[in-house]
Amino acid sequence: MIPTERPLINILQLLRIVGVLLVIEAVFLTVPTATCLYFGEEDWIPFATATILTALLGFVLIYCIHPRVTSMAKRDGFLLTALVWIIFSLFGMMPFLSCSTPLSVTDAFFEAMSGFTTTGATIYNTEQMMNMSHGVMLWRAMTQWLGGMGIILFTLAVVPMLNHSGGIQMFNAEVTGITHEKIRPRISQTALSLWSVYLCLSLILIVLLSLGPMSIFESICHAFGTISTGGFTTDPSGMVYRTSDYSMWIIALFMFLGGVNFALMFKTLSGDFKALKHNDVFRTYVYVIVIFFVLFVISIINAGCFHSIREITIEPLFQIISVITSTGYVADRISNWGPFVLALVLLMMFTGACAGSTSGGSKIDRMLFLLKHCSNEIYRSIYPNSVRSVRINGNLIKPEIGNKVIAFLCLYGLLTAVGGLILTALGVPLINSFFSSFSCISNTGIGVGILGIGGSYAALPDAAKWTLSLLMLIGRLEIFTILLLFSRTFWTK
Amino acid sequence: MKIVIAGAGEVGAHLAKLLSNENQDIILIDENAERLATLDSLYNIMTFVGSPTCFETLRDARVASADLFIAVTPYETDNVVACSMAKQLGAKTSVARISSYDYMNPDNREMVRRMGVDRLIYPEYLAAAEIITALEHSWARHWFELHDGQIILVGVRIHEGAKIAGMHLKDFANTNHNFHVSAIKRHHETIIPRGDDIIEVGDILYITTTREHVNDLLAITGKVSHRIRKVLIMGGSKIAIRLANMVGDKYKIRIIEIDRNRCLNLPAKCGDCEIICGDARDPELLAELGIEDTDAFIALTDSSETNILACLTAKEHGVKKTIAEVENLQFISQAEGLNIGTIINKKLLASSSIFQMLLDSDSSTSKCLALTDAEVAELEARVGSKITGKPVYKLNLPRDITLAGLIRDGKGMLITGSTIIEPGDHVLVFCLSGAIHKAERLFN
Repeated sequence: MIPTERPLINILQLLRIVGVLLVIEAVFLTVPTATCLYFGEEDWIPFATATILTALLGFVLIYCIHPRVTSMAKRDGFLLTALVWIIFSLFGMMPFLSCSTPLSVTDAFFEAMSGFTTTGATIYNTEQMMNMSHGVMLWRAMTQWLGGMGIILFTLAVVPMLNHSGGIQMFNAEVTGITHEKIRPRISQTALSLWSVYLCLSLILIVLLSLGPMSIFESICHAFGTISTGGFTTDPSGMVYRTSDYSMWIIALFMFLGGVNFALMFKTLSGDFKALKHNDVFRTYVYVIVIFFVLFVISIINAGCFHSIREITIEPLFQIISVITSTGYVADRISNWGPFVLALVLLMMFTGACAGSTSGGSKIDRMLFLLKHCSNEIYRSIYPNSVRSVRINGNLIKPEIGNKVIAFLCLYGLLTAVGGLILTALGVPLINSFFSSFSCISNTGIGVGILGIGGSYAALPDAAKWTLSLLMLIGRLEIFTILLLFSRTFWTK
Repeated sequence: MKIVIAGAGEVGAHLAKLLSNENQDIILIDENAERLATLDSLYNIMTFVGSPTCFETLRDARVASADLFIAVTPYETDNVVACSMAKQLGAKTSVARISSYDYMNPDNREMVRRMGVDRLIYPEYLAAAEIITALEHSWARHWFELHDGQIILVGVRIHEGAKIAGMHLKDFANTNHNFHVSAIKRHHETIIPRGDDIIEVGDILYITTTREHVNDLLAITGKVSHRIRKVLIMGGSKIAIRLANMVGDKYKIRIIEIDRNRCLNLPAKCGDCEIICGDARDPELLAELGIEDTDAFIALTDSSETNILACLTAKEHGVKKTIAEVENLQFISQAEGLNIGTIINKKLLASSSIFQMLLDSDSSTSKCLALTDAEVAELEARVGSKITGKPVYKLNLPRDITLAGLIRDGKGMLITGSTIIEPGDHVLVFCLSGAIHKAERLFN
């Protein structure tokens, strides 16, 4: 006789942990509430309401549910990770519904999901942004900041409750990359180390930005949007950062850092330079940026847009880093730089930056694997008996993992196409459809405006916004975690 | 505490899981990447692929900052070399698993220490010692004593007809002041009982008592103590050889081994024993050897299943005490439910000694016993620790810990709700899995 039978999915325990997470979100919601009060804005009411509702439900779940079995298995880990992101967006959208710049439920969910997944696609137009309260602006920035390093990762770092095998499942389900590297023996320590690097970088960035022309408040909002490679700004015209070379350099530098593997940064900071030396993904990341920079400069000169020195230095560099890290800040006049530049932009949206960073896309690690794998296959056409393997960062990639990478890349392309198809079915113009779908699944969030044609996310039909929200989540959790939930095997024994 | 374990074999993997559950920082090294990948994705541990006797691997695993380095690869020499290297790199304490008595010999102890091996785990030796205890106290399933038996924890299975079967625990406690029921193993689960729990037939009761009263337990539980003389061992394994060397002429030992070549080598290794070449599963052979007159049957082959079944057969032939080596942890619960006397498991024995080292890094007096899903430990109450100064019932102990007995000034006594623990007391603590670090915190 087995004493306690385990359900397929331990729903009670999941709900309880969701309760804990809601309390954490409520704590974060108090920050914009306080900001509104500080600036004397009416919006403190929706924020306070959201805080109280979130906290209330959280405490109810924590104190009313006492699961008999507290263990969590693989399925629970995956489901919880997916649920957490959706629930965070559902509660995080509450302030948007009734603030001074109100949104519909669809729009609010899109905005919240876009924030948490660090996509940075926004519903708000310039006019609305002008009237936006400080609280709402800060909350938009904070959603990205939380989502950038990861909600689960944050929870693992602060709540000891998840420090068991279920927590490891969740860590694997949320952290991006081919394999998931632990940097310290316990999962909570790993989470804490990564979050402290993230927090330190954010603080440094805030200080550096506020030394420039930005106000402290703008510095905080942009710092959150930059290090998380999200791309929300306080000013949709981008004038806040575009007018100052200093701000652009700083933002470019920190976007770059946001695209680096945080585990690698932690190792380098703790004096392990060997790791940096052997990291070919990081090297490729730098090379790609340098090569694309040269190509950009040539294109700009060809297009006759070279009028001042900044147009061939910081502007293209800023744009490249912004796109490759999936931030989505846009430098001026990009649509004048010619079609080749736009093609390069699309390519970078696909690749993204390093795995284990806050960036989106399919990650350089996977592209590197694909290229090496293809080159092996070409070699093997002549020497069919040779045995060649692929190494990434000095580690052998086993064939099973290689297959998963290839499956990932195929699914990535497929889902982008499916997303685009759905949008066209809803009556969105062809290019807009596919571009938006691509921009959302890669978590870049650049609007179709970059192509020089009209259209914004706000104008899309509701169904399209829900589709895009789902794509953002799929992109952020790297496909498998979400697709798994739609499979029959997940729900049956 | 940071612990590096070299070798992800059965013992290594078990230790890693166990210690990770006890909130220790675990780094596991092994050459087999696949083995590690599975463990890495399932448990709260960090893994490194590489040879444990390679400086680079050890440096990668940051052995320099490790508090404890445990080498448990299958090869003794690898373990010793790995320990030596780890110690050179700066590990605080090193432990090697060995498989010959040579290293344990007190004459060589100092040399071994100079080689960089601080502690030794010798599972076969521990198993043999465990078997000897089981033979001495043939009526009990587990026998764990502290300070020369001042406090004794006995595990007994309640059979049909025992006086206390069906009794409420609070009634039992009211009538028997000299016993403390610390835990009950029922079906596959160990529970720490409360007053309204009922003792059922088939339970294994873990009862703590003092030396004076241990014999009274026999009457209560309806057991009879047998003197063991004739011992039949199935399988000429390392444990069997070790055992034969340790018991001397106290018992008359016969070893049945199926492999002829092994049989030929056995006489040289284990002195006076009688070696029989044959299959111990063969009833005719057993009858020929006079199984009915045998006092104890010990099954020590490599196959857990064979051992369990052979013991059951021996029981049917009227052997009073049977002992089976069960290496598969899942089988232990099953085997405990059957009518097999004592079960020996090298992994549990190895974890017992590691726990002992963890709990008490400065002296080796403390003892520890690892069961399948619980641990029993002897902890010393430090000055100013949370456990002291208050009656036990006011301490609000976690539900998975119980205090069974204590030794004060060399004298054993049981603990009741009103006992006040004083600094310097050695307390026998019974913890369910993963709770030992909680207990440790209370005592420090």
